[in-house]
Amino acid sequence: MIARLSRSTIALLIAGVAASAILTSAQERPLQEPDRKSTKPAPRTASGKPDLSGYWKGTRETKPGGNIGKDLPGWKLPLTPAGEAALTHNLTATIDPESLCILGGTPRHNASGLPFEILQGANKVAFLYWYSYFRLIPIDPKRKHSDDPEPSFFGEELGRWEGDTLVIDSIGFKDEKVWIDENANPHSDALHVVERWTRPDYDHVHVETLIEDPKFYTKPFTYSRTWVLGAPDEELQEYACSENNVDAAHLGFGPGPIRPDGTRGYIDPAPLPPPIPRAPNPSK
Amino acid sequence: MKRGIAALLMTIAVLFSGISIAAHHSFAAQYDSNKPITLKGDITRIEWANPHIYFYLDAKDEQGNPVRWTCESGAPGALSRRGFKRGDLKLGDTIVVDGYRAKNGSNMMDARRVTLADGRIVSGGSAGDGGPQ
Repeated sequence: MIARLSRSTIALLIAGVAASAILTSAQERPLQEPDRKSTKPAPRTASGKPDLSGYWKGTRETKPGGNIGKDLPGWKLPLTPAGEAALTHNLTATIDPESLCILGGTPRHNASGLPFEILQGANKVAFLYWYSYFRLIPIDPKRKHSDDPEPSFFGEELGRWEGDTLVIDSIGFKDEKVWIDENANPHSDALHVVERWTRPDYDHVHVETLIEDPKFYTKPFTYSRTWVLGAPDEELQEYACSENNVDAAHLGFGPGPIRPDGTRGYIDPAPLPPPIPRAPNPSK
Repeated sequence: MKRGIAALLMTIAVLFSGISIAAHHSFAAQYDSNKPITLKGDITRIEWANPHIYFYLDAKDEQGNPVRWTCESGAPGALSRRGFKRGDLKLGDTIVVDGYRAKNGSNMMDARRVTLADGRIVSGGSAGDGGPQ
C-alpha cells in the first residue's frame, strides 16, 4: 500500500508529523526524554550554591523504571526474612497505595516515571510532584532529627549543603500503606534515606540515594538517577488523583507480574484484533 | 488509497508516540492482557481529566440487552500527543473500542484503540503503566 503513495505524499506526511512534534503544546510533550549532552554549566544562586530549580524529566535510558533495585545485580534487593514477609504481604494483600491516591513518599517518588519540579530557596527547597503532591525541606545544618518524629510518607527531612551537594537526610517514615517502589517492594518504619542531590550541568540533576532499613534489608543499598531539564514552558499540570478514581474499585493486589527487565507488566500480552476500517458514521 | 494513507498515518503516529504513560496504577494490577475485547456502543458520559480519561458506553450483550461499560484510556496529554483530542468523543456517538478487560470481570476495559464515529482510528494509549505496547 505504501508503494502506491507518491514519494512527495510520504515526504509531506513525515514532515507533517515532525512539525506536529515540534509544535505540540507543553502539556502534550512526552513525560520522559532521551538523555542529551550539555555544555552549559549549572546555574548558581546569589549565595553561590548550585540552583537545582527546574522541571526535571526522567530519561529513557533509566532502566528499569520504577524499580528501587535498579543499581543492584539482577535488581535483587537484600531482604531480611521480615522484608520477604513484607514483600509477600504487599504482593498479595495490598493495592498500590499510589493508585489509591496515597502519597508515594520517599524514595518512591525518585523512582517514578513522572517528572517533578524543584524550587530552591535560600533556606528551603520544595519538590513538587504530579498528583499535586509536594515536599518542603528546610536547609539548615544546625537542625537535628526529632527523638520520635511523627511518621509520615516523606519522613522527617533535613537539608544541608556539603559543598555543591544538597544532602537530604530523612527518618520517621510510615510503615503502612507504603511501597518503596512501583514493584511493591517494602520499607519499614526504620527506613533512613540519605539523598545527595547535584546539578552536574545546566541540563541535568542527579541524585545518589543511600537506603538503610535494618528491619527489612540486610544491608544498605544505593539508588542513583539522573533527570534532564524540561523546556522552559513545561511545568507540572493539575493531577487530581482523588477527584474521580474509578480504578480504585477494580484494582487487584500487588503490581501484577514483574517482567524479566525489572518492570511491572505482562510478558506476552494477547494482541488486539486488527482494526476494522468502517465508513464514517455521523454523530447522532 | 485513503485506507492506505490512514494506515500509514497510524503507523507513523505509533512510531512517534513515545511510550511513556503517566503512571497512576499498574496496568497489570487491573487488566488482563489475555482478555482482549472489542465493544461497539454509544457514548453516555465522558470524563476527560488527569490522570486517566474515562468514557462510558451503552453496548449490548449477546442477548441484546443493554450493558453499561466503563472505558479507561491514558492521560489527556499522552492521548493528545497521539492525535486523540478532547472533543473527539461526543455524547451519543457510536464508537468501536478495542482493549483489554478488567481482571475482576467487571464491565470495565482498557480502551487501547478507539474507532471514532467519523471512522478515524485513534490510540487510547495505556490505562496504566506496563501495558502492552
